[in-house]
Amino acid sequence: MRTIDEINEKIQAKRAVVWTVEELKANVVEMGVKKVAQMVDVVTTGTFEPMESSGAILNLGQPDPPIKIRQCWLDGVAAYAGFGAVDLYLGASQSADYSGSGEVSDLEELREMRSRSPQQELGGGHVIADLIAGKPVKLRAIGQVTDCYPRASIETTITRDTINQFYLYNPRNLYQNFIVGVNGGDRPLFTYLGPLQPQLGNAVFSNPGALSPLLNDPDLQVVGIGSRIFLGGGIGYVAWEGTQHFPLQKRLPNRTPIGPAATLALIGDAKQMDARWVRGCYFKSYGPSLMLGIGVPLPVLNETVVERCAVRDEDLVAPVVDFAIPRRVRPNFGLVSYAQLKSGQITIDGKRVRVAPLASIFLARQVAETLKQWIEQGEFTLTQPVASLPSDRPFLAQDRWGAQINLE
Amino acid sequence: MKKRVTLTFPKRTVHMPVTYRLAKDFNVAANIIRAEVAPNQVGTLVVELSGDIDQLDAALEWLRVQEIDISATSREIMIDEDACVHCGLCTGVCPTEALSLNRDTFQLVFTRSRCIVCEQCIPTCPVQAIATNI
Ligand code: SF4
Ligand code: SF4
Repeated sequence: MRTIDEINEKIQAKRAVVWTVEELKANVVEMGVKKVAQMVDVVTTGTFEPMESSGAILNLGQPDPPIKIRQCWLDGVAAYAGFGAVDLYLGASQSADYSGSGEVSDLEELREMRSRSPQQELGGGHVIADLIAGKPVKLRAIGQVTDCYPRASIETTITRDTINQFYLYNPRNLYQNFIVGVNGGDRPLFTYLGPLQPQLGNAVFSNPGALSPLLNDPDLQVVGIGSRIFLGGGIGYVAWEGTQHFPLQKRLPNRTPIGPAATLALIGDAKQMDARWVRGCYFKSYGPSLMLGIGVPLPVLNETVVERCAVRDEDLVAPVVDFAIPRRVRPNFGLVSYAQLKSGQITIDGKRVRVAPLASIFLARQVAETLKQWIEQGEFTLTQPVASLPSDRPFLAQDRWGAQINLE
Repeated sequence: MKKRVTLTFPKRTVHMPVTYRLAKDFNVAANIIRAEVAPNQVGTLVVELSGDIDQLDAALEWLRVQEIDISATSREIMIDEDACVHCGLCTGVCPTEALSLNRDTFQLVFTRSRCIVCEQCIPTCPVQAIATNI
């Protein structure tokens, strides 16, 4: 029907027809797949949700005399330093930890500097977000003294403009579907989905459903390694399959998975990102994380692309998982549709349970809308993937939520 | 319905068994949240009153007649609109649905009149967008 090259020519001439995936779904209902596929060139998807498997690579530039950093803290959050001399990797879910890095008074001072309340828990996600926002960050590092790197330690302040490279490399983002968390026990639980109240007091889901990038390309037919994307308000790329990539998850006839399935590793220049789309966050009694806005453009190469993108919240499901059982494979209460989840209420064992999202559907829509504008204005062209993502990865002894659900 | 109020007692009423009278005469339960009452001094009591709406009003009227000063609530919930990302997580723990999501736009809606300042939402918010004004 069309090629990526043809679409890019239209984008450069500012003639490309770009719809958000929600516009596409509405138009398919009115006009049908065939007609829509002829009209539209690109569909934009988006999400905004916590993605704790994210991190930033930083290269500081050498001081004089130079240092081979072995231990390092950025605003009190440890970064991994086991690379070349001043290369660091700061993980989003790393908590502030001052062991070996100084006095308690420094902690107070730092917290004041960051104008956060004293109870505020700080982590790698906040430091990454602060750097992207252009704020100064305190760095303290301990080196291994060698003949070529004589310096033993350094304390300084960095900003995104005073370091060489600063890019996100996120080993696991964009989960293709996820779970719904509930608590069937009798005490409150504090989880990566936020607080879960006892006796099925509430339920939390964390995927934006029909807006979500990979639920609109369930078999990863148009997204692959090298696909250019919107990442944190800047431009990023699909680098690899994500960790725990599990394309063999059970699927409905519309090819969407019934639980966590494909994931992607993403990369992008953090210096160009916008703090609006990169937010540090903290889950009480669980830990810090990073909320990220990510948008993926889907080229309409054929009618199948439109057919897959037409999927609605009614056609997408997630398993309801009981966190009260501290096991890797937790019992679950079956599947619910995203239409039910977004209504704010589901029924479990005959009981009405309040449901809250954790993905911001409001901001996910804005991501899809912003990416649409970039493409319409000719600022963002599409790339041809250089390789497909694996479709046959088995899943080794990991959280195979939903695996015990029988679809028959 | 529930109402959180701060009661300020003049010296002479400090001895009065207020919560007993509220329960017995008006069928209004008074859950004491904070109290500073000492003999022969002005006392303050932060209470959450729950009961039938008409009886609540009658109870408040009776309190006024006793020259007990009533001010609406002592604390209020503040939402930092620049910080809020509209994730909606707080809506799942709010017992009164004072916090909800607009089902069309999925923006957070705060209905202050329903808020009982239980503060459950504060630690739930992952971006610390919720605080009290005190
Ligand atoms: S303080 Fe309680 S009632 Fe008020 S908004 Fe927060 S959770 Fe709801
Ligand atoms: S939890 Fe916080 S960020 Fe999320 S909607 Fe509520 S106030 Fe906004």
